[in-house]
Amino acid sequence: MTRQAFIARLREGLRGLPPQAVTDIIADYDTHFADGAAAGRTEAEVADALGDPGRLARELRAESTLSRWREERSPSSAAAAVFAVLGLGAIDILILLPILMGVGGAMFGFAIAVIAVFFAGGVVFAAGPFMDLPGGAPAALLAGLGLMAGAASGGAILSLISIGLINALVWYGRLHYRLLKPALES
Amino acid sequence: MPEAIEIQLKKGALELCVLALLHQQDNYAYEIAARLADAIGMGEGTIYPLMRRLQTDGLVETYLVESPAGPPRKYYKLSEAGKRSFISQQTAWNLFSSAVEDIIGGAK
Repeated sequence: MTRQAFIARLREGLRGLPPQAVTDIIADYDTHFADGAAAGRTEAEVADALGDPGRLARELRAESTLSRWREERSPSSAAAAVFAVLGLGAIDILILLPILMGVGGAMFGFAIAVIAVFFAGGVVFAAGPFMDLPGGAPAALLAGLGLMAGAASGGAILSLISIGLINALVWYGRLHYRLLKPALES
Repeated sequence: MPEAIEIQLKKGALELCVLALLHQQDNYAYEIAARLADAIGMGEGTIYPLMRRLQTDGLVETYLVESPAGPPRKYYKLSEAGKRSFISQQTAWNLFSSAVEDIIGGAK
């Protein structure tokens, strides 16, 4: 493979990353080719020693996505991190998928329940005083507030757990990077 | 055909080797890749994802040095956290490898 073909395939694989990151990465590999040439190696030799650009691009993408997850805890960066780890092929997806779906489904169910309890608390708070409940209006107000506060803390705990779960998945994925495999198989 | 254990061993040692090279002296990626490729037979390309990870983790820092020919060269150096990480990993590795060596050596 020529230098140009290698860089082109790498660039193709890095699509979607921030332009600055792509520029940095391409510059790294470009320099590598230049250094290789200075050391008297041909482009094909250097490209061979570097390994498969597609695979390298996947690893670099994963690295970049995972650092975004670390800096910014948002649903979109969480989803990107999960997909990046899966894209590495580091985890046997057939084993992991049912577990992920089960855990994901349970978390989703809890989230719905938390939201429902919050709104129920709101209804009790707003409508309770006008209904003839035992304990009268103050009890209904307090019960409504209590339900909403409980739901809010439940939601907070739930997001802490999801952050922990995604961190665990990222850690596991990194541990199982097959960084060296292509080099050893060739 | 490489065995799974060989891959696992090299993967585990790779980061430590990079930290060790940088502990001796600051270096640029091509030189690190060339030395490790010769010594432990890793793909040269894998050095770049690893260097980016070490950078994200705050273990290495980069700086540019003007080069006589061509564009400025990017050098890597260990950060304070990187030095601490290297020392603790080195200790762990020495303990582990001498324990394994004792057992393997005894099995002859």
